[in-house]
This record gives sequence, structure tokens and C-alpha cells, in this order.
Amino acid sequence: MITQYSGIAPKGDLLLIQRLCSKLEGKSFLHVNSTREGGGVAEILNRMVPLLRNLGIDARWEVIEGDATFFDFTKKTHNALQGTREKITESMWDHYYEVNKRNRKSLDLNADAVLIHDPQPAPLIDFRPRSRMSVWMWRCHIDISNPMPGVWAKLKAYVSRYDSAIFSVSRFAKSLPVDEYIVTPSIDPLSSKNRDLTQQEISSVAEKLQINRDKPIILQVSRFDRFKDPIGVINAYKIVKKYNECTLVLVGSPATDDPEGEAVLNEVREFAGSDPDIRILLLPPDNHIEINALQRMATIILQKSLKEGFGLTVSEAMWKEKPVIGGAVGGIPLQIVHGITGFVVYSVEGAAFRIRQYLNNPLMAQRMGQSGKEYVRNNYLLTRQIRDYLSLWYCHIQKGKHVIEL
Amino acid sequence: MRKGIALEEEIEPFEFRQCVSVVKSTGKKAKNLKELRKLVAQVGDESIFHHVCQYFLKGHILEYTNDFAQWAGETLEERALAERLTCIDPYTLKSVESVRIELLREVDDFLSHFPEPHDVIPGNEFYFNETINLIFPIGVQARNLAEFLVAIDHIDPGSIYYHFYDARVRLGEGIVDDFSRWIEHTLMRKEIADRIRAIDPFMHSIVSIREHIREIIEKYVRADMEGVTR
Repeated sequence: MITQYSGIAPKGDLLLIQRLCSKLEGKSFLHVNSTREGGGVAEILNRMVPLLRNLGIDARWEVIEGDATFFDFTKKTHNALQGTREKITESMWDHYYEVNKRNRKSLDLNADAVLIHDPQPAPLIDFRPRSRMSVWMWRCHIDISNPMPGVWAKLKAYVSRYDSAIFSVSRFAKSLPVDEYIVTPSIDPLSSKNRDLTQQEISSVAEKLQINRDKPIILQVSRFDRFKDPIGVINAYKIVKKYNECTLVLVGSPATDDPEGEAVLNEVREFAGSDPDIRILLLPPDNHIEINALQRMATIILQKSLKEGFGLTVSEAMWKEKPVIGGAVGGIPLQIVHGITGFVVYSVEGAAFRIRQYLNNPLMAQRMGQSGKEYVRNNYLLTRQIRDYLSLWYCHIQKGKHVIEL
Repeated sequence: MRKGIALEEEIEPFEFRQCVSVVKSTGKKAKNLKELRKLVAQVGDESIFHHVCQYFLKGHILEYTNDFAQWAGETLEERALAERLTCIDPYTLKSVESVRIELLREVDDFLSHFPEPHDVIPGNEFYFNETINLIFPIGVQARNLAEFLVAIDHIDPGSIYYHFYDARVRLGEGIVDDFSRWIEHTLMRKEIADRIRAIDPFMHSIVSIREHIREIIEKYVRADMEGVTR
């Protein structure tokens, strides 16, 4: 299975994965999260667990179960950890703990390495089997740089009992009494979202969605959420339109779990007015091939966010060799090396200026697109994330060493 | 011919290796220059090494040559300090400790002229990290210049970093990299080794280091094949 990535991922990453798997052969590696489907974590685990098993690691993936009250609470804490004020009571915390306690009866927590993803299953650390030597790591996928203090204090009490904590960006790391590592998220180059498409596949999506490819296409793929600044994107397009012909395509999914989504979508539609060169598309969340094709037919891809977690849509666009423009928030500046793999912007005017620069300098746009793809190849592919998890596990075994010869 | 094969078998091959780093947060961050100064003096050698020496592992040269200079220039917008920090060359200094002393000297001098540093906005602080480095052979060996030429095109940037940049600190000699060392001492080709040593590690990205080495080696391989005596 790992050979599928040959010629795509860096050779060194594949070699190190194989070497680490041979050192860790037969050992067990358990992942626990709270959903089997939907979201980036499940997407990665779906791919990573079979791949590790194929390499001789006894990898398993368990999912905790909870009732509506539990998931309502974890949604609230998720928001609170990302800085939104939420009302959370002591009894909610008790229920959170009780649900985790109930889960330990149905989960087999015996493993040589255990990676607990996100806050939902964090209390499982209290049920760590004492009978075997194991490594327990807590993986935080969200931005907790500015949390509600009380909520973080409660969660911290659990996290501090792990052997280590893993964050996506240095800025998200907190002061903890345990080792803290930085592992950036990744995209899977073989998934339907990112795999190569034939010209025929791209054309058939253009036809199906009635996309006019006669003019350069400016694209933003994101939820209809104010933090993604769709109105700002339209404003940037309006500035560009005074100088250059182009089509703007805004693509998102219907917001079933976000009451604000519909309001934002209506605002965007109203703001776009009757301009025939602005297309607002709503696609089901599993329409990965369609999104892939839209990204591949785009001339320039924007992610003009005002607030962002890591913003992996930027890496997805860069993987398709597209010139990108991103807001200077969250993980976007890590992916866009300004002036080399794309442009980071701070305003509507900045976004418009960079769009015009790309449209007027196709060679520069092409060069930056190519650099972007190489940057993603070396830093943001799934194989690098697997390599990092295995390396961390091995580092725990070799505790205290700063240089490890394999 | 047989003698040639026998000789080649006796030659100790160059074994290409690679370094992969796992980033570890120290949990320390600085929001202004005074805090940066305090922490540069406090953090372990591993952290200074990561932010200065491993900068080249990023694969492209930006305006600056280490994370401290980058932060001073881009986040603090103290360009003069950034220019001075960027000139700290870890490969002419003999140890990580001397890099730390140079960093402190530049920051102290700047603070003596501008003693009231401003704070950056939350989220833009300097985050001190360090790395755990995993080193492994990549299964590629070279026994002669022609094999070396093929290999240099094939290996990952992380391998070039390990042999060309990391070696200078690892071997503690500053100017000697693994490639030129093997070419001089095993292949006995001092002239080629000197040419590789003349490539300034500070002025190139890993990609252009690869191109320079390839150019040099290719020229000598061609000359060897054509029987040109030098």
C-alpha cells in the first residue's frame, strides 16, 4: 500500500516509515476519536490505519459513543476552546466524564501506543491499563491558542496526565507539564479530493456545473461562514473586474449543522446581485471529485479567511499547482511562503492586487504554482504525518535522546 | 580492468543518509525583544541549533537566514536588527554556544540604543522549539564520481541538508561537509573537494546547492571519461 505513494511522496519519508515500522513491527497502535465519518481526522484515520497494518503494525481505530447531551457539550467546549464564550455547567462536565467512563467498557484500550484525538475522548487517560508499558499521546487538532480559561483549565487536568501532547502549530501549544510536539496536518494525494483527474473528468464537471471556462476563474472553496470572508472575496473580485475579465466561483456545502450558514449564504447571494460572472455553488459535502475538478479548472485559488484553523484547502490548491492567495491567519502563512509559494494578504485591496498580479503575469503564477506543489510534497502530505506519528512513538521509546540513529 | 574493479571494491563507499526532525515545543515564547533576549540566554542548545542551523532545512532562502532574524524583520519590523542577525553565520562559528553569544551581542547592542521594545500582537510571538533528529541510511551508495553524480540528483533535499549543512556542525569544523571530505580522503580528488568547499552554504538554497554540486561533479566526470588530464 505504501508503494502507491512512490513517486508522489518524498522518498525519505517512505523509507523512514518502512524503517520505523520494521523497528515497531508487531506492536499495537490504537487511535481513538469520536466519529467514524466526516471531518479531517476520520479522513486521515481511514487511510492511515490500513496502511500501518499493511506495514506490520497492529493498528486499530476505536470510536467513542455518546448521547446527544454529550455531543452538544463537546460542540460547546470545541467552540469555547477556540475562543467563543459558552455557558458550560459542572453537571455537563460530569456527564462528559461519565460517557467516557461508560466507553471504557466497550473499548479495548490495551495497546503499546495510544493516540487520543481531540477533547471528546480525553478523559480516557483515567482508564489507562496499568498492566502494560504503553505510551499515551493526546492529539489536538483545533486552535486552542485563545480558549475560555475555565474550559481549558478543566481539559488541561486530563491532558497533563498523558505522556505527551501534540499540536498542529507552535502557536496552538499551551504551557503543559508534559512533552509537547508539533505535527502539522496533511492532505492525502490519492484521495478523490486530490488525485489527478483526466481532462475529460474535469470537462464533464464543468459541463455539469455549467462553468464558463472562457474567462480566467477565481475560486474560493469554503463553508459560507463570515470567518471565510466571502463578501470580502466578492469585493476583491469587483476591484479586479475594473481591469481584467474573470469569473468568480464561490463553492460551499449546505450548512446542516450551522444555523448561521444559511444567513451568510443569503447575504452573499444578495451582495453578488445579478452579475453573471459570479457563480455561487452549493455542493453536497461528499462531492470530492467535483471540488477537485473545480480547483483544477481554476486560474487562481483564494482562501481569504479572517480566522482559520490550519486551512488545509490552501495545501489542496497548491497540490494542484495553482497560484494561491490566503489571509494571514491560522496555519495559512505556514503553507504560503509569501512571494514564493503564493501570496499572503491582509485586506480586500491586497487580495485584488495579487489577483491582478497573477492574471497579468501568467509565468510568475505558473512558477509559484509549481513551487507550491513542491512545498506541499515536502511538508503537507499524509505520509509525512504518518512518519511523524511513528517517529514520536519511537522517540518515546528512546526517551531523552536528541539524535536517534536508525 | 580487473585491477580497476578490485580497486573500486576496496574503496569505502559514500553512504547517503538523511535527517528527519520531529519538532518539540519548549513551551517558551517571547512577545518583545527583551523577552527574546532573556529566552535566547536560557533555552537549550537544541533550540538555538534548530532556529539557526536548521533554518536551511526549510528549503528556500527568504530574506533572512535564521528564525530570529526573520522574526525581527517581519514581525517586529526592526529591519536593521534583522540584517545584523542574518549575518550570524553558524558555519564559521565553532559551536552552538558561540552562535548564542553572537545573538545576544547583537540584541544587547540594539537594546542599548532602543531600550523600549514594543510588544507584538498576540499570536505573533516568537515560539521557541527544538527538534529530535532521526538519522537513517537511504539505501543509496556511491563508489565513484559517476555514481555520486547519479545519486546527487536522486536524493531528497533532507539528505543534502544532512551531508552539506548538518555535517559542518556535526564534524565541528565549520567548513567541511561530508561530500568534500569523502571526495578528498577516499577518492583522493582534492581539487574537486576544494571546489565543493568553495560553495558558500549561506548564499544558497538546498536546491541550488544540489545544482552547484552536480555542475562541479559532472564537469570532472566528463573530463575523466574523455581522458583529459588536469
